[in-house]
Amino acid sequence: MTTGALSYAQLLETNNLVQASADETYWLCVTRTVQESKLFPVPAYMMLSYMMAYFRYPSLLRKIESRMAAEEIGDRARAMGTKIQNPSMGWALPGFYLLGREWLINLGLLRPQDAVLDLIYVMDFWKRFQLSWHRNDGHITNKEFGHRAQFLPERQLQVFHADMFDCAAGDDLHEAAQGFMAAASQYGFLISCESRISLHNSGPYKLADDREMIIRDFMDLAESDFPWLDGVAKDMPFNNLTVTLAVKDCHFYLMDDWGSFESKPEFTADRLVGVGLYTSDTLSEGYVPVAMGSKAELGACFRSLADKVRDASNQLWRRIAGWSRDLMIDAGAITYFAIIKDLAHVAGVYDVSDWMMVDERAERFRPLFNDEYSRDVLTGLCIGTLPSHQASDYTMMQHSNKPQRLFSPVPYSILAGEDYTPTCGPVYPGKTHLDLKLDRYTTTRGVLTLAEYNKLAREVRPAVVDPKYRHLCETWVKYHAATPLADELYRLEQSQSRRLKGKGAGLSRADIEKLCRNDAGGSGR
Amino acid sequence: MARLYVDSDKYGDQSASAVVDAYHGTIKDLIRRRLDEIGGDWASFVFDKSYDLIGAREFADVEKTLLSTGHRFDWSAMISVRERPGIYKSATGVGEDLADFSFEHAEAITAPPDAEGREQRGIGDNVVRYASNLIGIARYIRSSDRVLDLLSKGVPPDTVAIIDDSGGTLTAPILERFKGVICAGGTVRSHLGILTREYGIPCVMNAKISGIREGDPVEIECTAAAKTAEAYQQGIEMTARVWRLKK
Repeated sequence: MTTGALSYAQLLETNNLVQASADETYWLCVTRTVQESKLFPVPAYMMLSYMMAYFRYPSLLRKIESRMAAEEIGDRARAMGTKIQNPSMGWALPGFYLLGREWLINLGLLRPQDAVLDLIYVMDFWKRFQLSWHRNDGHITNKEFGHRAQFLPERQLQVFHADMFDCAAGDDLHEAAQGFMAAASQYGFLISCESRISLHNSGPYKLADDREMIIRDFMDLAESDFPWLDGVAKDMPFNNLTVTLAVKDCHFYLMDDWGSFESKPEFTADRLVGVGLYTSDTLSEGYVPVAMGSKAELGACFRSLADKVRDASNQLWRRIAGWSRDLMIDAGAITYFAIIKDLAHVAGVYDVSDWMMVDERAERFRPLFNDEYSRDVLTGLCIGTLPSHQASDYTMMQHSNKPQRLFSPVPYSILAGEDYTPTCGPVYPGKTHLDLKLDRYTTTRGVLTLAEYNKLAREVRPAVVDPKYRHLCETWVKYHAATPLADELYRLEQSQSRRLKGKGAGLSRADIEKLCRNDAGGSGR
Repeated sequence: MARLYVDSDKYGDQSASAVVDAYHGTIKDLIRRRLDEIGGDWASFVFDKSYDLIGAREFADVEKTLLSTGHRFDWSAMISVRERPGIYKSATGVGEDLADFSFEHAEAITAPPDAEGREQRGIGDNVVRYASNLIGIARYIRSSDRVLDLLSKGVPPDTVAIIDDSGGTLTAPILERFKGVICAGGTVRSHLGILTREYGIPCVMNAKISGIREGDPVEIECTAAAKTAEAYQQGIEMTARVWRLKK
């Protein structure tokens, strides 16, 4: 079937985006970690999730854009630490979809030109979101930026910088913050069925000659989207927490599109010299400080949250230990597939049946997913050893120099008359072995029903997308910092800041640092 | 018989896995037959008729075909072998045979006892460099049943957990209580490596060990340099030693 008009330029751009994703997928998969678990059948659920992504992402993204454009969601995403950042949007959105497509090609169930309009749309959505979200650093991915993630504007960074509390190895705040981050990291792996997608790092940002700041997000911690957290996470007061970290004598030279980092020398706890804590979601006006009134209050909060996280972890682990393999596969596949679900929350069109169910077109593949086949085919997909990956012997793939391409481009021959199919069709019914999701969603506006949550999401218009401020970018600030409008813009961001409230647009990083040091001398910052 | 688009691949014909090739070959044969049955119309097959013609029953038959040759699958998650023991290779070291079990890695570097009576039984990639080596008691932790048992009875003091799961979930509720970890898989960047670093628990990953049994006193050379990303990427050996001590 051939319908509609495709242009050469469209296909050129689509194939470029596909190739960019292919190169980074290989690098991430080879260098970051080994996917295995004795508890969860990880490769099995990953394979199922790729099928779910292939069959549903095109329709679900179109549904989201029926309410809100990708580039507006990208603008909003800069002001919240939710699950539409690097792991989800930088890599997984195109990655999962394309891995599913490539597997189907290798099975003989798909040709590279099938569902071509879906492919073009998914890659275009990804491009528009990424360019918008990354507009302050001007790159489409962290990879393109040399593995760096600097998407926040100065006004936000100044607040993070100014409001951090100093800490040092051995003091109460240092110990409390480290204890929380260790417990929350472990909880993050557990709620995400052994994947790291509840955790995210970004930055670095330069605070001083000897210090850099990274931003660490812990996401989906409370009763919200995942049915397996109903009950066990009822005492978690925040669904998303963002920890700001000042690190001394340590350069973060790599921040990848999975949100993980490398540093020189290695980041160890003793290098942590400042912390802050925030929460946020699609209903909040940016990052909301948590227990940031004093150093003692913040330390106590970290300890209290660590206790809640440990309690929830133990309850959840016992729940999971009693699960069947199908339950584990469902939870893992849904965690992976729904890595971009917060796009729907932002647009106010979130539906449990869209995101917490296994589409019947994907479900039929489940009998294939024993541990060995899943492991071997996943490995093949990620490192390029399946037949579809093989290219002319003259080819030298980025990173490996092997004659391979990880994702198949669309053949340009469809412009010369070779047939193609446009789309895989709408969302089909889904099913799950998991318990039904309780209608309880922990947000910054309290615990809501889904209907309330969607309604509020459709009503909320944070300042970052107010037409008055939306396009006042960093270039504009550079040349208009002395204007009343710039002051107004900065004061909005500073409205909840302990140190900067009302100070406006005129401060430099050195002014912030001086302010902090002066306070530290007098009040034990 | 119908020809598939991928049947005319100039560059690729097989994968690196015999199981994958067996599966994919069987599935492609099935697709060709089904396409023949509907007259070879790809457009009506790909996103419509294939859903009914090639469903869960057909995919289950693919597995049966391979099993009928006598093949038994490798397992990675304990739940898989527990639910369907007949299709997987047997699991050892997770039940009553624990007392006699030990990891036996073919590349484990061993050496006779030194002057202090330490017998090297292997090596691993050090996650974080500490000021002194770690000494503790080896305990194999390879199943959720064992974790549940330790969760109920408490983790014995000085436990050095020997694990072959580089993930962070199997031992989640008790990890904080380990004195040290020897992990037979992964890298220092695996989830278990990340978590032991966060908790300040000495750990070696990718451990290649031999002859260490449940209850043996062990020493980990966590004073060795931590393995770097460059070392992994360039294939440079940076290892810490693991010794068995006299009881």
